Amino acid sequence: MCRAMAAGAQNLEELQEKHLRKQLAATVRNIQWSYAIFWSISTRQQGVLAWSDGYYNGDIKTRKTTQPVEFKADQMGLQRSEQLRELYESLSAGDGNQQSKRPFASLSPEDLTDTEWYYLVCMSFTFRPGQGLPGKALASNQDIWLSNAQFADSKIFSRSLLAKSASIQTVVCIPFMDGVLELGTTEPVLEDSALIQQVTNSFWELPIPVCSEQSVSSPPLAEKDEDILCPNLECEIVDTMILGEHNLVPDCQAPLESGSPAFPFGSHSYASDKENELIQDKVEELQASICEEPKIDSPHDSSNECCPNQQANNNSFRIERLNSASQVHNGQLMDDEFSNGLHGSLNSSDCISQSFVNPQRVLSSPMGERIKNNVLDSLQEEDFTKLISLDLQGEKSHYTKTIAAILRNSKQLESITCFPCGSHESSFVVWKRSLNTPKPLSAISQKLVKKILVDTVWMHGGLPLKPQEENGLRNKVWKLEGDDANASHVLSERRRREKLNEKFLVLRSLVPSLSKVDKASILGDTIEYLKELQRKVEELDSRGELGEFEARGTRKHPDISERTSDNYGNKEIANGRKPSATKRKACDIEEAEVEHHLFLSKDGPLDVNVTVIEKEVLIEMHCPWRECLLLEIVDAASSLHLDPFSVQSSTVDDNLAVTIKAKFRGSVVASPGMIKRALQRVVGKC
Amino acid sequence: MESSTQESPATATKNTYTFDSPHPVYAMAFSSLPAPSPPRLALGSFIEGYANRVDVVTLDEEARSLRPEPSSSFDHPYPPTKLMFHPWSLPNSPFSLLASSSEFLRLWRLDSSSVELRSILGNSKSSEFCAPITSFDWNDAEPRRIGTSSIDTTCTVWDIERGAIETQLIAHDKEVYDIAWGDAGVFASVSADGSVRIFDLRDKEHSTIVYESPRPDTPLLRLAWNKTDLRYMATILMDSNRVVIIDIRTPTVPVAELQRHHASVNAVAWAPQAARHICSAGDDGQALLWEVPAAGATVSPDGIDPALCYTAGAEINQLQWSATHPDWIGIALANKVQLLRV
Repeated sequence: MCRAMAAGAQNLEELQEKHLRKQLAATVRNIQWSYAIFWSISTRQQGVLAWSDGYYNGDIKTRKTTQPVEFKADQMGLQRSEQLRELYESLSAGDGNQQSKRPFASLSPEDLTDTEWYYLVCMSFTFRPGQGLPGKALASNQDIWLSNAQFADSKIFSRSLLAKSASIQTVVCIPFMDGVLELGTTEPVLEDSALIQQVTNSFWELPIPVCSEQSVSSPPLAEKDEDILCPNLECEIVDTMILGEHNLVPDCQAPLESGSPAFPFGSHSYASDKENELIQDKVEELQASICEEPKIDSPHDSSNECCPNQQANNNSFRIERLNSASQVHNGQLMDDEFSNGLHGSLNSSDCISQSFVNPQRVLSSPMGERIKNNVLDSLQEEDFTKLISLDLQGEKSHYTKTIAAILRNSKQLESITCFPCGSHESSFVVWKRSLNTPKPLSAISQKLVKKILVDTVWMHGGLPLKPQEENGLRNKVWKLEGDDANASHVLSERRRREKLNEKFLVLRSLVPSLSKVDKASILGDTIEYLKELQRKVEELDSRGELGEFEARGTRKHPDISERTSDNYGNKEIANGRKPSATKRKACDIEEAEVEHHLFLSKDGPLDVNVTVIEKEVLIEMHCPWRECLLLEIVDAASSLHLDPFSVQSSTVDDNLAVTIKAKFRGSVVASPGMIKRALQRVVGKC
Repeated sequence: MESSTQESPATATKNTYTFDSPHPVYAMAFSSLPAPSPPRLALGSFIEGYANRVDVVTLDEEARSLRPEPSSSFDHPYPPTKLMFHPWSLPNSPFSLLASSSEFLRLWRLDSSSVELRSILGNSKSSEFCAPITSFDWNDAEPRRIGTSSIDTTCTVWDIERGAIETQLIAHDKEVYDIAWGDAGVFASVSADGSVRIFDLRDKEHSTIVYESPRPDTPLLRLAWNKTDLRYMATILMDSNRVVIIDIRTPTVPVAELQRHHASVNAVAWAPQAARHICSAGDDGQALLWEVPAAGATVSPDGIDPALCYTAGAEINQLQWSATHPDWIGIALANKVQLLRV
């Protein structure tokens, strides 16, 4: 029934959906919080609040786009939110097709930050009125401001453990349009009614779509409604829930039975057909865990304390120790499950981790067998024992997984055991110790290799580049015991670096400079330029009279050598090692004097100036006119993946002056130097 | 008799073909076209500065020479740090794809009469500060993927069909010098920080150190992953005559160290069709062919001796073993390129 509705109102809904998301986006970006979620009454379950839409505005780990960098920030955010939704849907969509893994998701779980996981996991939650934060807000029709959300009692904030892992600190729920608007941030923010006011006001200012009955808003897999089991199950769980306020409703494709009330955790999950895909996904993890010898002392098993039947300790369970982000999350989800006595199926690993709680069952279940077989199939005995002997601490499972993947594909050819030893065909002779006494031929060892790798002077005008930041920070991160906090350090470090680079770009666009790209040169140029400006200011001050200054200025100003050195035919450009003093170009041009300059150039009045700012390129050229030249110039630009959107040209005295503004097509980028040289080549080949 | 051929490289000319390039040669790549096409090599010049070239030569056994193909040669900005043909041979295709790295990763389309620059792949965000790409590897299980290593400490996985970055990882604490794929989604890299790390794209949070140079911070310069037996990889250290063989199942302890070179090693290459054969070349002007002992075999306390040896007479900077013509090994020394018959 949902589907029929969805089909009928699809267009309208799409529109509404877009509107709503844009509003959420605008709202959350405005206050710079991490996410916004709109909970509305579910169409599937009467009176239950379910995910309607959301916008994610927080940290991002791996960006995957089909057209990178072209997006503006807000589009990017919208796209990310959409991708997260897709991922959620693909994770929860287990359609017996085992081969095609998550066909639709452009993201995979390992691409997500903790905060994104939190956001993603929220999609599976539903709340009855009065339950959980959104439920309470709706029931009481009052705003709820929760500071220190990560430490909140799970009775009040059911997602507090999740929030902790995602370092979400502040959550606000605002009852709104028959639903609840939830905002969250990783910052600690004190209660601020003005902010709530601002949020609601700004929301009202935009045209509000009717969203409460959207079927888009219904949790994923409306198709699965046929599965009669599930709604029942959900109800059952809700009913038997011990901590009644926590209405974490599992998705239907992770069917489970509530166990005895005393041991809700003991509820066994079984592998239904629908889980096959998920199982498939996790087979490798299991291989890893099965390959490991049982080691009862699992010191940093985050789940230990939460697991009452830990005494049924088993090797499989230790898979929980995996350190990867997603897996740590699983661990946390398990915490959640245990403390709530519920199985919320959020992704595949859950099903499995659930099973691990009770090893005997796993092994006797079809799932267990299947996995065992798989292990035996894919690993040769030798490899198998080797894997066991691996000792990589917490990293073990991760690495065994990797190795298993590699070795599965290994060709394992029979080795040809002997060489055609010194046959007359061969250039080689049999090695003999006594023969082998050549002296080292060069004083510098590995000369060329080092030039290629280490002293990369050939590319950077005498300044070998060094990694741009301190190593100390990152040292930690990639150590085996690196944890998630460090990962976010890497992120913030990378962001800082990107910011720095952007600022350098801006600086570079302000300071007249040519094709030099490294930071040292930019700073050097800036210093030079500032000095020059200061000199001019002093001059101005001391002269006082404008006229006099101009007369003086024009005489003094054009450092002819600098300018001409920039022209075509100059060898120093070609090898990229110009002295930095020659890079004063743009401003000189701005101060006119082009003619003066033109006459001085020996190779004809030729002058190319290229400035790249972000994806835009400004090309200014002066050169002798000839037939088809303009066309060729545009062609040349185009062949460099430049897309000219503005071309101005004029011809005076057989001299062509062209100004081209262009954009880079796609992600392909040519350096200013390259563009310049290409254009010079075009002009030069009269 | 053998000793005399040994001492004077000039006499070892039988089945050895030499090409004299007008410039010093560093980068070198065998075409992936199988026999009956003759071995074909792309050669990158090493001239410090912008103007460099890539030349293509083909073995002409009848004329007993390496014949240049001027129509397939082209100008290259800066010296290519590595060249590689598309790993899948397309026997009937009129063109071949060649990748090169210097300040950017470039893809070139070579056909019988012309060369076309197909794409320039650079991180546009930092295009202004492009750090040199030290090396790259074309994923032969998933040829859409090329992984590049950079001195900016990152490894970048490109989707060359979309011309976009698939993943970029801060891979090491220092400059990354070489990268090699082991699987569609697994690569390893070596770095100035002295470690070999394995990355699994399914879990980008973690890398695994499979080897660290004995003296801390001795840079590792090159990495070769044995495509025939993926358990093994080989790496070389800065200023060292050793080739370190690693078994990825027993990380951190090398399975073998090959140290019969009389000077530093510059290049290693695994045999394309034998599981445990490897060739190394170094500043002593020798190319040595080794058989790495099988797992569990006892090794004499003196270490492992190479099986075969070729003496070139000058520092060998580059070494490639043709995957499609396993009889042929290419080496580069100064301005010369030689094809050696195994």
